[in-house]
Amino acid sequence: MKQTDHNDARPIHVAIVEDDPDFSNALILVVDHAADMRLAGRAGTQAEGLAMLAGPPADVLLVDLGLPDGSGIEVIRAAARLWPGCSTMVSTNFGDETHVMRSIEAGAAGYLLKDSSPSRMADEIRSLASGGSPISPIIARQVLARFRHQPAAPAHQQPAVPDEEAPALLSQREKEVLDYITKGFTAHEIASLMELSHFTVRTFVRRIYSKLKVTSKAEAIFEARTQGLLS
Amino acid sequence: MGARIPRLFAWLPIIALAAAGACYLESDDDGASLHLTRADWQDTVASDYTAPPSRQDSAALPAAWRPVTLPFNPAIALLRQAESGTGGASPRAVRVTWLKVAVQAAPAGALALYGIRVKTDGTVAVYVDGRLVHRAQQRGPSWNSTRTPLWFTLDNSAGTPPVREILLRLEHSDASQTALSSLRLGPVDTLRAPYHVRLWLQQELPAMLSAAFMAVGVFALFVWLRRRHESAYLLFFALAATAFLRGLHFYVDLPVKNDWFAWLTVNALFWLVLSVHVFLCQLHRQPLRWLTRALVAVSLLIGVLTLPVLAVLPAMPTVTPMIYPVAALMSLIACVVGGICAWRHSGEGRLVVYGLFACTALGITDWMLQNNVISAEGWYLGAYAPAVCFITFGRLMYRRYLDAIAEVERVNASLAERLRAREAELDASHHRLRQIELRQTISDERQRLMQDMHDGLGSSLISAIRSVERGNISDARVSQILKDCLDDLKLTIDSMEPVEADLLLLLATLRFRLEPRLEGSGVGLLWEVRELPALAWLDPTSALHILRIVQESIANILRHTRATEIRVGTTAVADGVEVRIADNGGGFDVAAALAHGGGRGLQNQRRRAASVDGKVDWRSGAGGTTFILWLPLRRA
Repeated sequence: MKQTDHNDARPIHVAIVEDDPDFSNALILVVDHAADMRLAGRAGTQAEGLAMLAGPPADVLLVDLGLPDGSGIEVIRAAARLWPGCSTMVSTNFGDETHVMRSIEAGAAGYLLKDSSPSRMADEIRSLASGGSPISPIIARQVLARFRHQPAAPAHQQPAVPDEEAPALLSQREKEVLDYITKGFTAHEIASLMELSHFTVRTFVRRIYSKLKVTSKAEAIFEARTQGLLS
Repeated sequence: MGARIPRLFAWLPIIALAAAGACYLESDDDGASLHLTRADWQDTVASDYTAPPSRQDSAALPAAWRPVTLPFNPAIALLRQAESGTGGASPRAVRVTWLKVAVQAAPAGALALYGIRVKTDGTVAVYVDGRLVHRAQQRGPSWNSTRTPLWFTLDNSAGTPPVREILLRLEHSDASQTALSSLRLGPVDTLRAPYHVRLWLQQELPAMLSAAFMAVGVFALFVWLRRRHESAYLLFFALAATAFLRGLHFYVDLPVKNDWFAWLTVNALFWLVLSVHVFLCQLHRQPLRWLTRALVAVSLLIGVLTLPVLAVLPAMPTVTPMIYPVAALMSLIACVVGGICAWRHSGEGRLVVYGLFACTALGITDWMLQNNVISAEGWYLGAYAPAVCFITFGRLMYRRYLDAIAEVERVNASLAERLRAREAELDASHHRLRQIELRQTISDERQRLMQDMHDGLGSSLISAIRSVERGNISDARVSQILKDCLDDLKLTIDSMEPVEADLLLLLATLRFRLEPRLEGSGVGLLWEVRELPALAWLDPTSALHILRIVQESIANILRHTRATEIRVGTTAVADGVEVRIADNGGGFDVAAALAHGGGRGLQNQRRRAASVDGKVDWRSGAGGTTFILWLPLRRA
């Protein structure tokens, strides 16, 4: 199915910033084996990654956070600015909340678990390239809390209580999606529960991520102003 | 400032007296009134008191006139007077002192005669040009007689010849003596002012001061009733009461009789001295037992001797001049001894000694005035003794009051200080406690992770290494073991994420982690969860136990059954929640599995459930197995 979707179209250009050669090689193998993907670039350090961003933009950028000469967060941030049309993905061992949330706030559109099977890696890259984003229950809970500014309230009460604090930030449907995710439902299950296509569910998540990026930026500016860093 | 105001008050009576004197002197300069200072006098003897005749010609009296300068205060033979006073009920003889004052060039108009004092223990009659114009003390003297000035107006309508002679008839007992101040004859309006000033300063002002002192004394009594341990308040009341009683005879218009009133006023003086002495002892904190006993004994003795029913020493003006020196002596002794004791220790004691000394001096001048030792025109200053007492003790109370306020303020300040100190202490201990708590949390967490790694990850890795070393394991098996280890590790990390009492979120996380494994196994997962109440006790340790229990349950299904479908459901029950994991595999003999050593996984699940106060149960049949994890809503 995926093959037919992309065969006729332009292949997905994938760039990698990764210092672990094993994972890097495994990833390159996945890209090479997928007919609809092409490796557009490969960097092993933060400096190389930033230099790569001066070149022609890729469709999907895979970034590791723990680079030998600095944080991958800087690369993600620069990519958001220099390659606005590119979807950035952070590669992580555990998909833990702190890594992933930071990356999303810097401009990442998703994350890739390093122990994923090759076919799953290819699926994630495709999904990202076509505007979808992955999410885990814990991340969903964190995103809800971030928008609510009330981290303590249990998520399963969310649909019943109309959110008055951030109505402009997250739509009712978006919140509903997040809420289902925190209860353990998969994208497919949510799609049938909400009568959507499962792909729409993933694009909802992408939209939520971009909103999170905006709010986090606004919060940072507000924070900086109150602390006198900006005049 | 604290000392200046009472000092100012102490000067007040003196200032008042000085003002009165100035007023008096001023009227002296007034040429309109005649100041009569020369007289002739003689004594006649009678058998008894008689009413004065309406006319008395001075020429009809014996020609034994002797000239005298007014004020007239003949010496008194005190012993003889006292003897006659105690001797019997009726005097042996009555004497009449006649005083004849010649008037030259008397002013015309409405006239008044004013004399500061006329003293006798009999009747007073005044004749003008032989005609009786004024009578006083018709039934003998009153207690306030010697403080009541002589004052009457003359009826000299037009045509009446001017006054030429004033004759005074003073009846008295045989042994006692009379006294007369100089006289003033002049217009009523001119003389009224000095007369009223005299009357006010001698009677009315002392009465007011005495009453004021008494009122403060009653206040002190009420204070003492609530604070019995502070006897100073009771003493203060005793002082006020005795001073009040002592002062009564200065202004009470009762006939002089040897009755309880006389007894009270005389004895009050002794009690007053005694009270001041006891007060002084309290101030300088030296018991002075012998002196106190002696003073009490003297007071009791005088009290008994002067009892009206016994009449050994009648409390009559004839006898009291012999009694009062005892009081003065007592007072002076108390004064000197108290002064010596208090001098170095107590400023308040010194103040009281000054006061007592002043009162004694005032009393002595009264005694001298009463007994014709000093001019009959002097002042009875003893009337101001209660005022002196009032000022002295008022000042003490004032100081105490200020000290008490200062003390309260000090105590409040120190309370606030102590409160601050306690708060700081509390803060410090709270901080310490938090640090201990933090250390405890870290230690618990470490222990938890150690335990988990030891049981799961560690042992899996060790067995994998052994197998690899022996060479009897396939690459796929090694890969599987490592994947299992990674899953374990992920769940450990997930258990540390904040799930905020949400069991569903925990299960969701587990599903998210196990999904890739399930996808590969071909077993379908049906997610049938329902809303669950929050579990407030769901901390990372409990979360990991629950994750492991459910993980083990799903792993068992994958490992030991041929199930094609797993249903995960949650239900809220009466006092807890249930997680049900049902498969459509072959089922197994639960009892046998638990009893057999192979059921280590089941035993682990049971142990983990118990450590979060939960229960596990298996219901197995041919259609499959349902595993039930029950968790309490609240934990003790």
